[in-house]
Amino acid sequence: MTPMEKVLGPVGPGPGGYGGSPGPIAVQTGGLTKHYGKVTALNDCTIAVPEGRISALIGPNGAGKTTLLRLLAGLARPTSGRVIVNGVTPHQDPAFLADIGYLAQEIPLYRRLTAEDHIRAGAHLNPRWDAESVRERLTGLKIPLNRPVGKLSGGQRAQVALAMILAKRPRLLLLDEPVAALDPLARKNFLGLLADGVAAGGLTVILSSHLVADLERVSDHLIMLAASRVQLCGDIDDLLAEHRILVGPRKDTTALERAHRVVQVTRTPRQTTLLVRLNGPVVDPAFQASEVSLEELVLGYMGEDAPPALANVTTVGEEQ
Amino acid sequence: MTWLVWRQHRIQFYVGAALLAAFAVIIVITGVQVADQFRSAQLACALHQGCRHLGGLFMGSHVVGFMVIATLGAPVLVGLFWGAPLVAAEAEAGTTQFAWMQSVTRRHWLAVKIGWMLLAAAIWGGVISVLVTWWSSPNNAEQLNQFNPGRFDIMDLVPVAYSLFAMALGIAAGALLRRVLPAMAVTLAGFIGVRVVVALWLRPHYLSAVTVFYKVTSGLNPPGAFWQIAQGVVGPNGQSLGQPNNTPYVDGVPITALPGSCAAVANSAGPANPSASCVQALSHYRAYLTYQPADRFWTFQGIETGIFLALAFVLVAVTAVALLRRDA
Amino acid sequence: MISFRVDAHSVVPPYLQIVQQVRQALRMGLLDVGDQLPPVRGVVSATAINPNTVLKAYRDLERERLVEARAGHGTFVRRRPPGPPPGTHSRLGRSLARWVREAREAGLDDESIESLLHVTLRAAAEEETA
Repeated sequence: MTPMEKVLGPVGPGPGGYGGSPGPIAVQTGGLTKHYGKVTALNDCTIAVPEGRISALIGPNGAGKTTLLRLLAGLARPTSGRVIVNGVTPHQDPAFLADIGYLAQEIPLYRRLTAEDHIRAGAHLNPRWDAESVRERLTGLKIPLNRPVGKLSGGQRAQVALAMILAKRPRLLLLDEPVAALDPLARKNFLGLLADGVAAGGLTVILSSHLVADLERVSDHLIMLAASRVQLCGDIDDLLAEHRILVGPRKDTTALERAHRVVQVTRTPRQTTLLVRLNGPVVDPAFQASEVSLEELVLGYMGEDAPPALANVTTVGEEQ
Repeated sequence: MTWLVWRQHRIQFYVGAALLAAFAVIIVITGVQVADQFRSAQLACALHQGCRHLGGLFMGSHVVGFMVIATLGAPVLVGLFWGAPLVAAEAEAGTTQFAWMQSVTRRHWLAVKIGWMLLAAAIWGGVISVLVTWWSSPNNAEQLNQFNPGRFDIMDLVPVAYSLFAMALGIAAGALLRRVLPAMAVTLAGFIGVRVVVALWLRPHYLSAVTVFYKVTSGLNPPGAFWQIAQGVVGPNGQSLGQPNNTPYVDGVPITALPGSCAAVANSAGPANPSASCVQALSHYRAYLTYQPADRFWTFQGIETGIFLALAFVLVAVTAVALLRRDA
Repeated sequence: MISFRVDAHSVVPPYLQIVQQVRQALRMGLLDVGDQLPPVRGVVSATAINPNTVLKAYRDLERERLVEARAGHGTFVRRRPPGPPPGTHSRLGRSLARWVREAREAGLDDESIESLLHVTLRAAAEEETA
């Protein structure tokens, strides 16, 4: 075993493999609801993320992504419903806290303290702490360790926060828009680091982002929120296999709509395009089915709960 | 966690320590002079064999004397500048998200922070009180006024309790309001309000005051440093006489209530020799003094300390509930 | 050791790109029998794709009996894919030259020829995966 493996344990996929059959579940919620006064942030959300997945948490602004991550981290308590993270309900316990890493969108760091101060703080406050990895990584990125963090650029601060959260060696990472402040190369670099952490075993990641393209290459699991509800939750391969884009002539589609779950319909004067979730084979010969890309899937569902003016039925070119 | 508390607050600590040191230097240097002054005055007096006390001589410079009185405000400083920002600054900057996602529980984080801050407050109040009490002891021995409001509050035990209270108040305000400036405003207003209410309305009643009636013509001087609460004159029917402003009075009785024979006493400047009829008339009146005896000084210090410690304890509990029960 | 290039915007799914790149490397001689394929972790940190994806590609190659996984050591090349018989390259090269002449006479410039080639290849790839 390499010295690193001795510290962290043997590398390689855990009992659930890298994917395939679920195996142990890292995160599970049932009917999770959160109200802030009269505002409903999350409504009856039920999700499951198996261990070893990199799950993309996608949804428009205000859909409840941050709230969900905070509930999983134990920073907020649900109004009703169940949350189970790493086998327990999130609570104030050093062992539980040591196993999760949460990074808020606002990159909380002490502005007057230096990166080195933060590293030392981490050593004092965490049972597992890989200080050297932070120093190596930041030095490699040419980020000064002895300058107050408030004087670093936004991207540099993000790198400090991300390095710190990996150094904690948690079992679950909850990242709220972690790469928003990074340039494309830094983004790819960081996502590579995450994927490597998962490949080494013992890590599950849930990260929220607006950038579908980034998430597409690194994630194998998807949680889609819109209007405070869960629209999709599952392995990306499975989800894509369950959906099709049906293209056909402009005609009555009631039969199709009854047979399958229609997510989005677009009608032009000569053509109808439907995004459907399959419920059996497509019987209508007039329609040609093709596979869906992740981006098409996400955009299709995001439109579903949009305000009426942007309804999922769009007509191009003439009155319906 | 202690390391982090130190690292976050070490500038505050240095500033506080520097202020204490500067204050200590001034007090110690002048205090030695005051003690010398006292000793030589006593010696000079003893030689002339004539002094029970030195006629209320004030020793020391008035500037330093003013500084000493100003330490009335010292306790609230720790509440304002150390207590209020403790949680509020982190809430404003969002850094609680950082701290609470390390592997320490919120309870441990809060306990360590509050613990060190309360200790610092106690040291602040204690050091200032020790210096002030020592510097004031010659003057206290002379003027016997240490039980009076304004002097009672800067000596011995109570400054420590005030400092703990101010710190706890600041921390609680910061935890509830989550903004530094409003928390500071609430701390200042709350501290002044509570101190005024306790000193003016509660303290006189910690133990029932002693009221003694005596003849207007004689005087009454309870021993030691007593605290005078009220004094006055009651007439033959038991009615108390108001404090006469413009009318001349004899031994507290307005001249209008007395026979003409007393006029001579009222108008004379030196020691009076009232006529028999005047004395007769005066004997219908009695003077009273309501006071707290000097030997109750330490009891009162203890009671007031207890009150402020209890308040501090309640505020710490409020802080804990505010932070540990709510969402982060 | 070869390295992989994954194009996130291609219609070819990432795992298939890896499979194809391995096969291509074998055909071109960049990989020989007994060579080790890049370890999963190395691929993942360089390309920022999911470890599952790489694993799926390696499993596919294993199913085709091109590679074999040795527990604890990595994945190694077992044999070359069935290759073209000798002379295939030169024969195909000649018919390609004839086609290019024909295209030029029809009025296509280099750019049109290239784009026609790309479209045809892409369509063929989609047929392969369907």
